Amino acid sequence: MTHRRDVLAGLGALPFLTSASWADLGKPVAGSGARTAGGQDVFVGLCAQGNMTFEVPLPARGHAAAAHPKFAELVAIARRPGAFSKVIECSSGRILHVLNAPVGRHFYGHAAFSVDGQHLFTTENDIETGEGRIGVWDRSLRYARVGEFSSGGIGPHEVILLSSGALAVANGGIRTHPDSGREALNLATMRANLTILSQSGEILNQAFLPQAERLNSVRHIAEGPDDAILCGLQWQGDLFETPSLLALFDPQAGLYPIPVSDTLLRKLKGYIGSVAALGDTGFAASAPRGNRILSVSQAGEVFAEHKSEDACGIARLGSGKALVTNGLGQVMELSSGRLETVQSVPLRFDNHLIAL
Amino acid sequence: MLRSLTVLLCFASPVRADVNDYADTFVGRGYALLATSAQMLSDGARADCSPDALKPIFFSTYDAWIAVSHFQFGPVEDRNLALAMTFWPDPKDRVGKAITRLSVAQDPVVDDPDLFAEVSVAAQGFTALERVLFDPQSGPDYACRLIQAIAAEIARNSALIHADWAEFSELMRTAGAPENTRFQSTDEVTRALYTSLSVGLEFLHHQRLGRPLGTFERPRPRRAEARRSGRAQQHVELSLIALNILSIHLGGGDAPRTYAAFEDALDRVRALDDPAFAGVAEPQARLRLESLQRSVRDIQEAAEDEIGARLGISAGFNALDGD
Repeated sequence: MTHRRDVLAGLGALPFLTSASWADLGKPVAGSGARTAGGQDVFVGLCAQGNMTFEVPLPARGHAAAAHPKFAELVAIARRPGAFSKVIECSSGRILHVLNAPVGRHFYGHAAFSVDGQHLFTTENDIETGEGRIGVWDRSLRYARVGEFSSGGIGPHEVILLSSGALAVANGGIRTHPDSGREALNLATMRANLTILSQSGEILNQAFLPQAERLNSVRHIAEGPDDAILCGLQWQGDLFETPSLLALFDPQAGLYPIPVSDTLLRKLKGYIGSVAALGDTGFAASAPRGNRILSVSQAGEVFAEHKSEDACGIARLGSGKALVTNGLGQVMELSSGRLETVQSVPLRFDNHLIAL
Repeated sequence: MLRSLTVLLCFASPVRADVNDYADTFVGRGYALLATSAQMLSDGARADCSPDALKPIFFSTYDAWIAVSHFQFGPVEDRNLALAMTFWPDPKDRVGKAITRLSVAQDPVVDDPDLFAEVSVAAQGFTALERVLFDPQSGPDYACRLIQAIAAEIARNSALIHADWAEFSELMRTAGAPENTRFQSTDEVTRALYTSLSVGLEFLHHQRLGRPLGTFERPRPRRAEARRSGRAQQHVELSLIALNILSIHLGGGDAPRTYAAFEDALDRVRALDDPAFAGVAEPQARLRLESLQRSVRDIQEAAEDEIGARLGISAGFNALDGD
């Protein structure tokens, strides 16, 4: 099989790339990594009603995935500090390519495609220096690595493509080394930032939280209307001193924390797991340790909290709505301030539900 | 001091009790006891607001709260009352700041219960009342009004919790019924109770014991819970008893390692004479507190193996991912 593929590649055909579109796979609106009852790691597609449309095996538990904007092709990013990410053809489950982080690098959990789907951007750690990097991979060259540039900080986690075509990177600020797993090595000096980069790596904007929130790690981001970006934070200090867990970025005003009541802050346990923009109604954020989903207005006000155990994945589902998944296998719909279970499946959904 | 809990313990049937028995017997009756005691506290404060007169009823009402405070869902959660009842841990001294702010301004908000319900929750509950009763106050007249306001607020919140209980316990009882949107299955009730157990144990280990212990190089006696009234040890014992009862119900009487670990921890805490955990800074006493903390860890591990695993509950897939 491999031989035949190589031959075909030599002839200029591209069987290494998927030609099936997402619509061919039962019109999934979102997808997520998950673990089956038998312990197999999979990636599943979900339709708007919460039913599964496809399921493909994954070689290990992933963190997030980047979905090709057009074709039913997925890049499952290794959990940090993994060095391999896999390109999966969702119609067959075949692994088309393996992305190997260059020597001295490892992946940091997230990736994003360019609008045309030709380039993939991955967050990475330069292990020796601790500098965050963005790796650039070219799909048309069988996902060859074609470049890289600085992420603008330490510990980049989520990278997203903005409507302007620029990239936004959540530089969590936490230095880690594979030899010590996920242990934070620089708490004494850590400082997270949000960096806006051109696709060639030029820093277009950069914003920091106030010094008093130095121990807040910016990790997950979502772009709303008017170039605003909601940031989901993870507090590294005393949980009972958590100052805030969400911040809103405005290109002119910078990055400012969203005030939340003490009562709510204590429930959230210092940890936001993912964020999503829902269009006109604002944003949603998940707090899997606090077993809560938060509805956040465009102006950055938490206007509703919804209980759901171990809920983490959120993906926009048309304007104002979202699908939400949790570690108990529930698929929920979030709309106009209500969260309702629409489906229960024997899976443990992973951290991130991505819109397809 | 343990009389109220001992009364509750008499209702305990040792084995095979289901979760609704548990809820009615321990949570329902516990809330009733809390509401009654809190009303006596408030009445007592109105009759005589001197700290010495109020301390006994303050202690028994606080006991009643600690005995049910591990029950994390239901009326307390729905009304967001956990922090209003006790504001601890409080590393930024929000309680002290809130009390000082009111006292310095001689804020008349203390004379109107509806307005007082709107002040910072840090000034509303047992933690605040302890502060005013046990720390010297500059103006005795204002301190008196503040004590009355806090006691009334504790009574009011306790009454709300108790009043809501009937309806909530009915939802637990009818879990899985078609019209019950709160609990879609009995599993959900069990899961919520197990969460109360595991969160309660973690709170014991990390906060009630871990906070004052700090590190060997830097013990933190001033971080002990309710140290002013010398109740840190008492809170550990009360919550161990309460969680032990919950574990007996959840484990169906068949979780021997868990129960043995509880017994060991209870023996250790009862052998202490260190009411405010000041001993964290003294080598001998510290060793005993560290052993107590280790025995709580033993309970956590045994309960996970024996009770959590049997109920098919493991820690959150996403909650523990840490990314």
